[in-house]
Amino acid sequence: MNESIKEQLESTFKAVVVTIPEGIRIIVNVKKDQVLAVLRFLKDRRFDHLALVSCVDWIEEKEFELVYIVTGYIQGDEEHREQERLHLIVKTRISRQSPQFETITGIFSNAEPYEREIHELFGVKFEGHKRLTPLFLERNYEIPPFRKDFDTRKYVSDVFDKIPFIQLEKE
Amino acid sequence: MDRNQITKWLKEPAKMANKYSLHVIYFCTGCGIIEVPPVITSRWDAERFGVIPVATPRQANLFLITGYVSVKTLRAIIRTYEQMYEPKYTVGFGSCPINGGMYWDSYNTIKHLDKYIPIDGWIAGCMPRPEAIFIAVTHLWTLIDKGMADGCIRYRENYELYRRNQEMVLGKLDWSPLYPIHSNVKAVEDE
Repeated sequence: MNESIKEQLESTFKAVVVTIPEGIRIIVNVKKDQVLAVLRFLKDRRFDHLALVSCVDWIEEKEFELVYIVTGYIQGDEEHREQERLHLIVKTRISRQSPQFETITGIFSNAEPYEREIHELFGVKFEGHKRLTPLFLERNYEIPPFRKDFDTRKYVSDVFDKIPFIQLEKE
Repeated sequence: MDRNQITKWLKEPAKMANKYSLHVIYFCTGCGIIEVPPVITSRWDAERFGVIPVATPRQANLFLITGYVSVKTLRAIIRTYEQMYEPKYTVGFGSCPINGGMYWDSYNTIKHLDKYIPIDGWIAGCMPRPEAIFIAVTHLWTLIDKGMADGCIRYRENYELYRRNQEMVLGKLDWSPLYPIHSNVKAVEDE
């Protein structure tokens, strides 16, 4: 089953690198202009559940890595049982200088909160996303706080440690 | 009930009423809330001490903050605290509200809760055992007896300072001040 998905992906798309590190995991490295096509291709082949969208900051290579994990819903019939156990991990690299990517909410609509989160914590802009508003954070950060060059200790000593204790007037 | 205390009861009945009917609102922020279900149910029956959980801040007079306080949570904590009726007592549970605990270098977690609202007592530990809540309650009784649990009075008297600290973290607050603000407090320095 792993091999057939691998063959299908490699024969359909050029420049797709498929590696199988463990039994049920398949890592698919694609160029960034092919991500939507690969995800749509996988969705048509019963990988119809987007489990996670994540982001990795490779600061030395000056790139962000977007990770999409797709898997299939359990249907219960015998012939698809092997495939339902698989996790497809689609990875792509985007530039760190101007982090911008297309939204995948047209394919998987449950990607919306994940993309809002990545926009807030890494500063990646998703074109076509309808609601890129703040999700978790209350304060404004100059550098988005999950980037590697965000110095949390300096931020804490600059902000939270500067707030004075309440000094009572009478002892 | 100790018969020797009857004279004390008759002398200051309001204190006695406050002591033995602590209606608690639990603020379930962090992991500390996991200690509360055993406390209020049959294992460590908290109602022996007159401690009973209530649904809304309007009915409560003890505020138990269990766990770390993120910036977003602080806003809710301040609003909850200001809705409670006096006399009100606040207890920080666990090491995170005291000085940040394991979140001492987090970008989104305030470190000292007593900079923003007055705290009457702390329960140290990560995690404290459920018995620690009862130790805190009995200590709070002593403080109420001696008139030292004066968090709400401190809040009223130093409201400008508390409000200034709250606005330093949360920005402009979108609710009106609880008490009148006198303008003799020096302005916020950095922001």
